[in-house]
Amino acid sequence: MDERRANIDLVFRNGLKDYEVLPPPEVWNSIQPAIKIKQRPFILLRSAAMIAVVLGLSFIAYKLSREISTAPASPEIAFQIDSSSPLTAPSIMTPSYIPGKEKSLINSSPKTFIAGITENPVPSEIENASFPDAIATGETNNILLGRSFTINEPIRPSLTSANKKTIEIKPVVPEYIPESSITKHTERWSIGAMASPTYYSSFSSDNSELSNQLAASEQSLISYSGGVSVSYKLNKRFSIQTGLYYSSLGQEIDGIASFGGFQKYDYTKGDHNFEVLTTSGTVYTNNADVFLISTGPGERIITAYTNDVFDPKKANLQYINNTLIQNFSFIELPVVLRYKIVDKAVDINLLGGLSYNMMVDNSVYTTGDGVKYVIGKTDGLNMLTVSSSFGLGMEYSFSKKLSLNLEPTFRYYLNPFNEFVGSTTHPYSFGVFSGISYRF
Amino acid sequence: MSEIKKIINGCLAGNRRDQELLYRRHASKLYAVCLQYSGNDEEARDILQEGFIKIFENLSHYKHEGSFEGWMRRITVNTALEKFRSRHNLYRVDDIDTIQEPDAEPDNQDYAGLEANDLLEIIRELPPKYRMVFNLYAIEGYSHKEISKMVNISEGTSKSNLSRARIILQRRVGSYTGIKKRAVNG
Repeated sequence: MDERRANIDLVFRNGLKDYEVLPPPEVWNSIQPAIKIKQRPFILLRSAAMIAVVLGLSFIAYKLSREISTAPASPEIAFQIDSSSPLTAPSIMTPSYIPGKEKSLINSSPKTFIAGITENPVPSEIENASFPDAIATGETNNILLGRSFTINEPIRPSLTSANKKTIEIKPVVPEYIPESSITKHTERWSIGAMASPTYYSSFSSDNSELSNQLAASEQSLISYSGGVSVSYKLNKRFSIQTGLYYSSLGQEIDGIASFGGFQKYDYTKGDHNFEVLTTSGTVYTNNADVFLISTGPGERIITAYTNDVFDPKKANLQYINNTLIQNFSFIELPVVLRYKIVDKAVDINLLGGLSYNMMVDNSVYTTGDGVKYVIGKTDGLNMLTVSSSFGLGMEYSFSKKLSLNLEPTFRYYLNPFNEFVGSTTHPYSFGVFSGISYRF
Repeated sequence: MSEIKKIINGCLAGNRRDQELLYRRHASKLYAVCLQYSGNDEEARDILQEGFIKIFENLSHYKHEGSFEGWMRRITVNTALEKFRSRHNLYRVDDIDTIQEPDAEPDNQDYAGLEANDLLEIIRELPPKYRMVFNLYAIEGYSHKEISKMVNISEGTSKSNLSRARIILQRRVGSYTGIKKRAVNG
């Protein structure tokens, strides 16, 4: 019985071995977009993380600036009261300084000497204290507690001991005017131009052997970015900026020798002869006259013209170079929020935002004897990318209208150049932007 | 570099044509596996779709050791298994436990006339639990111990399910060959 049962196993195992059924076409149609969609949670997570960082830094800066602005420097002045004065100080009294509650010390009511500084009830001892005329100094005559004396600055008493006859009087800002009530004309708009050399590199999620091999032969080039910006000042601290920038990112790929004069040997009908694997995507050649061969470790060129099929040296092709340049250029539309941390002669701003980038150039080329040979382009790149940026900006106003700007900025591309599973590459760049802006 | 290695590298580098080429080359074989593990075509399509997404996602983990086809098949079978586990509670109990066993073992049979699509049809008519255990044991070659962990049943249940599956298959194969012979003889 067991044999018969095992027999039925074999019937099915052998009968179904190598059996094939063509799946419905819609299956591939649903797999392809799903491969791309799988990456989106990572993009969202990265975006959320970047936003959190920018918000966090803004909050810290805000707190710091609050602490700085609410701690005014108040030099204390102390002067001796005549020991013969009948003043008897009450127990410890700490008048509190309440911004916005100050009033002029020049007041006819005797109680307003203290009331001008604090609204705490005044001890009777103080009310009855007699201030000697000796404390009257300065040029302005004021009437205080019914006595006439002159002070240079408004005063605030600070009695710290019951038996001491020394009264420390702290100067008080004569007129505390809340920031919000300042009504002066400010230039809210400004336009500027900035440019920067940028260092470009990328984070890769793929640590496979192939990916590491590809990355090892690729070197980032110093690229550049620049453009014009328009900024609007929302309030004293915050401003928002947009503009139009052009940026170029590039990398060198070593270990790929290129030769010219191949067209006469090209007998294939395909639209491209070579595919070059890079961390940013596959490069398809579109120049039929160029022959490529890998001279580095690993096989990164896919072609019908392999070493055993075609030898460029025997065919006497013209050697061009051993390096390819992969270049990507973008037109960028940034939206940047600035927060002024320090408002001095040199302002310091914290900035963070997003930029929408449209790819306008995608080319791969090589150079030889000063001639540029376009080889092809990288396939499957995203035409639209979103990058986040944050940095620290320094602004020096050398006139009322003009200022000089210096902004070290870090940028990170939230979505990868290429949308595919297995290898996601997120470029990042660092640049020190410098430029000039005009306020109006 | 072998051709499949080039295609895999192309997929890893994001080449959409290589991704499609990989799919076109292996989809038919894997779809047959999906049909073998599913009771209906819709479920088979789902398994194929989810399986291929996993294959693409995990391509970078393939170490080029052993058969690539075998690696893909394992992913597909695991996808079918996951689907089975998630739907397990939805299957009616009587699908599994009230199958009437034949009173007697069928006689020695001639299986020669059966084609692969006949076998597929027969296997798909099995109740889900029997089908899963039979596939894992008889086709994939897993032991009862392994199956018990994979399907979350006891080893005894695995053996029992296999035994019942075999009996049902033998009976149905018998009736199929009988029908076919009658059809040939007129």
